[in-house]
Amino acid sequence: MTHLAFQPAGPKVELEADYVVVGSGAGGATAAVTLARGGAHVVLIEAGPWRDPEDYPSSMYGTMRDMFEDFGATIAQGRAFWPVVQGALVGGSTVINSAIAVQTPADVFARWQAEHGVGGGLRDAMWAIQEELTRELNAEEVPPHARGRSNDYAMAASQKLGIEGHYMRRYVRGCEGNGQCLQGCKANRKQSLNVTFVPELRERGGIVLSCAPVDRVVLEREVAVGVTGMFVKPVTRERGAEYFVRAKRGVLIAASVTHSPLVLKRSGLRSRAIGQFFRSHPGAPIIGVYDEPIDMNRGATQGWASLGYREKPGFKLETLSLPLDMLAGRLAGGGAQLMERLADYRHFAVWVQACRAESVGKVEAGPFGNPVVKYTLDRADMERFREGLVLVARMHFAQGARAVLPGIHGVPYSLSRDQLSTLENAPLEPRAYVAVLSHLFGGCVMGRDPKTSVCDERGKVHGVSGLYIADASAIPTNLGVNPQHTIMALSRLWSRQILAAA
Amino acid sequence: MIALIRSAMCDFMPATQRLPGVADTGVTEFLETMKRESGRLYWLGLVMGAWVYSITPFMTVFVPLPAFVLPASLRDRHAQRIVGSRFYLIRQAVFLVRLSAGLCWGRDARVREQLGLGAYPLDPGTYRTT
Repeated sequence: MTHLAFQPAGPKVELEADYVVVGSGAGGATAAVTLARGGAHVVLIEAGPWRDPEDYPSSMYGTMRDMFEDFGATIAQGRAFWPVVQGALVGGSTVINSAIAVQTPADVFARWQAEHGVGGGLRDAMWAIQEELTRELNAEEVPPHARGRSNDYAMAASQKLGIEGHYMRRYVRGCEGNGQCLQGCKANRKQSLNVTFVPELRERGGIVLSCAPVDRVVLEREVAVGVTGMFVKPVTRERGAEYFVRAKRGVLIAASVTHSPLVLKRSGLRSRAIGQFFRSHPGAPIIGVYDEPIDMNRGATQGWASLGYREKPGFKLETLSLPLDMLAGRLAGGGAQLMERLADYRHFAVWVQACRAESVGKVEAGPFGNPVVKYTLDRADMERFREGLVLVARMHFAQGARAVLPGIHGVPYSLSRDQLSTLENAPLEPRAYVAVLSHLFGGCVMGRDPKTSVCDERGKVHGVSGLYIADASAIPTNLGVNPQHTIMALSRLWSRQILAAA
Repeated sequence: MIALIRSAMCDFMPATQRLPGVADTGVTEFLETMKRESGRLYWLGLVMGAWVYSITPFMTVFVPLPAFVLPASLRDRHAQRIVGSRFYLIRQAVFLVRLSAGLCWGRDARVREQLGLGAYPLDPGTYRTT
């Protein structure tokens, strides 16, 4: 028995291991396999089900049902309501993201040290681990045959404007360019952790519990000794058996930026730092409309990026192919007018800016125990947000788009090249935009001061023995780059330190 | 309730000469499935969105009647204008109706064929049980 899926109501399931890891995304699965490689017996617990490529949906409805947390209904509440996108299955968001591997920039470590008193010394160790991960999971540039016209056009546009731009490096083996990264790679080319580290964990004797949301960490005299929870069936939400997993050496929490803080709170931890320092990269698209078909559904979902504006003013640019069934609901308009617009779908290229926002929010428990994110971008963030969109529009026009579709309330549906000033003067009100929060940080941040942080620079929770954080919730600032590579490196580094200290 | 949501969705995505509308894509069955399978927060938001859409024609086409009794031309005008409402909460409420309509419409094989896209295979809805 190395995998326990949903267990119907009945006798309590009890297990024991050296370490229990809560959450199987980039942080959790990496921690679990690292501990197992070091000879430890590990139980990995995931709230969602374990889906293999043959189980993956094709439609966005199926994706929201089978892969997104709470049918995609997690919303950041603030001045505007923006959705928070996270995977809720074994492998976490690595199943539904683009597997982008970007080395943690050096300035990030310096900033952690300056603002939180820790992390400055992590750079060399993390970079070395990132090199390992690059080899293990085969980070490779999007191959020419899998780029598709949208990605190629973005590269050409960036070259015309003299903007730094590159084809992405992603954890993919032989991309076929099916344009279905968001729905999970049915061709099994993406090296998401449900098809890599989690199976390896089982081979090494580890146990995986799926459909098993954790309720709380069991603490005995300030020592973490295990976790309790209850199996819950996907979709129907039928409640199953309760379980208790005893941890002889430690519990690692990697339940995501929105859930890790809530697990700690439900476990009785009282630190005021829990749930604080939430940050993200809010993203929004500009659609270019071209005379020729773009067919953005062909080629890598995300194949091109620019980090040229990461430091100043603070945003990154990316391509993103949106499936018809997702775009249809996001395109401005209604009625026959909307249908006329959708007829141009094959001529659309969606390129996005993701803002390196400095605004800080928090994560709280909602009325049903669900995570609630309180988060609003301030004016400075909105200015860089808008500046990023303007640059995306310029790229489209440089590449020959006949129009761009900003999707901003108060701005015309379609703008021509000579109407760019309209976009430059678009409102700075967050409510005018339909943005998405896809890269999340904080909630259980590392730091020197227990009053303002949850864990130290080794991931150990302040004031509790045997309890560690191992996901993006420990990251105290945003990165300005895609975070998976950083999360995995931090998790592996801390897991090795835990093994060494045992 | 499903009839109310269906009516709003069909107003947002009517059939045109070039493309089938959401009414042609099995929307009733889709909504029955969605009611079972979506989270309670999502479904509650969808119901609220349909209500908001239905009771707001007085703000857009200046007729004090619910949307579902209006003639087709007024419903179409209402669907166009309500998404640009100056009130954020109204825009957000109807956004969910439009999003759901898009999820139903955009996965339909005939729609996809018309737009040069391959048909989606069925979503298996399966997962490892052992």
